[in-house]
Amino acid sequence: MNNKHKFGNNKSSILIKEIPSSESVQNDNESPSKQSEEEEVESKASYHHDSEKPKNGDPKLAKLKKLLYEDEITDLSLLRTITWSGISDEVRPLAWKLLLGYLPPVRSKRPIVSENKKTEYQNLVAQYYNNRQDNDEMYRQIHIDIPRMQPLITIFQQPIVQDMFKRILYIWSIRHPASGYVQGMNDLVTPFFVTYLSEFVPRHSFADVESFDVSTLTDEALATIEADSYWSFNKLLDSIQDNYTFAQPGIQRLVNLLSRVVSRVDKKLHEHLENNSVQYIQFAFRWMNNLLIREIPLRCIIRLWDTYLSEGTLSSTY
Amino acid sequence: MSYAYLFKYIIIGDTGVGKSCLLLQFTDKRFQPIHDLTIGVEFGARMITIQNKQIKLQIWDTAGQETFRSITRSYYRGAAGALLVYDITRRETFNHLTTWLEDARQHSNSSMVIMLIGNKCDLESRREVRREEGEAFAREHGLIFMETSAKTAANVEEAFINTAQEIYDKIQEGVFDINNEANGIKIGPQLSPSSQKSSSGNPALGTGGGCC
Repeated sequence: MNNKHKFGNNKSSILIKEIPSSESVQNDNESPSKQSEEEEVESKASYHHDSEKPKNGDPKLAKLKKLLYEDEITDLSLLRTITWSGISDEVRPLAWKLLLGYLPPVRSKRPIVSENKKTEYQNLVAQYYNNRQDNDEMYRQIHIDIPRMQPLITIFQQPIVQDMFKRILYIWSIRHPASGYVQGMNDLVTPFFVTYLSEFVPRHSFADVESFDVSTLTDEALATIEADSYWSFNKLLDSIQDNYTFAQPGIQRLVNLLSRVVSRVDKKLHEHLENNSVQYIQFAFRWMNNLLIREIPLRCIIRLWDTYLSEGTLSSTY
Repeated sequence: MSYAYLFKYIIIGDTGVGKSCLLLQFTDKRFQPIHDLTIGVEFGARMITIQNKQIKLQIWDTAGQETFRSITRSYYRGAAGALLVYDITRRETFNHLTTWLEDARQHSNSSMVIMLIGNKCDLESRREVRREEGEAFAREHGLIFMETSAKTAANVEEAFINTAQEIYDKIQEGVFDINNEANGIKIGPQLSPSSQKSSSGNPALGTGGGCC
């Protein structure tokens, strides 16, 4: 399949322009005018930066690296203020795990927590997945759905990846019977999976990751990616579970909220929709159910999630 | 483009039976072997001709999973036709037809035309539901019946068009109240009272669309 993305590049560049991206700050051959532009962007992001700038680099990245890899205890609120405006690819995996509360702010404790979580996940797989009944309805549904997921991104067509997704979704669902598996949840695993996979793809571009052959990875690496994806997905859904329980009240609330927001910021559009009997639920249901994953390219979604996860919660409090 | 009538359809049935692929084959004349899950509802439209009348079909393709039922139910109201789809290679999708039908009858207007469709008839070697069983179910519940293949396009045109024919006949018989849009039928600019008046000599009320 040639098409890697559903949409052209122009759409994503618009998105990135609106939210300053840390990636853009790394080019060494920048013109002076561009440099100052970037400094402006940085000063807009609400974090202090020291007067001494690392010579060949990005002060924001340096700051993030210090927070994540040098400080004994990562200051989570400081981390959030920095990551809100975008996270560099190389530090994103660890940053996400901390923002989600999956790994602890105390640096020395991370390896052991990470290892324990991996074992715990593997026990869940042994307990639930490997012992499931042949006619298990939930499994059958997941089994039908996974091969149909994101047909334009080649990595999701690889059998090893599809099996990982099946296990992650099945175990989550069996442990959360109030909602169980709901179509669209499969999409919510993809940003985690691709981000944690990127840790094992040397010097990658995003396109490399989206078409990476995972069978070249060790079992150990695959197990780490899978367990990290599971626990991150688990944390994410904790805050939005009522999007997926009976009658999906969380989504109804979000759609109503969108309607109220549009009626304020674009009254004309709101009235046009109303006059043509278009209901927000008809077009915005999928936006909310899949957190926009089906609407914009995955690499833009990942950038968007830097901000989601920095905000701390996705649940609508209205 | 101007049309005499607009009919609203809904496509329902278990997840993975091929609802979205049927729609894509009908509107775009192509088959997409891997089709991403439908979440909530999606739309398609195409113009057809019945007895020399242009008819626009506005088709609402719904998600099949149980969780979405409370959302998709609201789309039954205001549909003139429904395609109820099962997969001939998966018996359980046939077994669930009664539930779908009850749901459809309960939430739609009573004159909605329902076409029962056994899809994936190109997969004869994996068939689990005999053609006669589909026919019997349709006869018992007063539905039109057809086996289709979204992959080979077999009977896909016919499924959509025969349903439209049935709705059109019901309009002629006066079964449908075409002035009530809740029935899923809208009179197009060709037939609307204003354009009729304008053709009888009152140009001020012309709709602008109309014929060339």
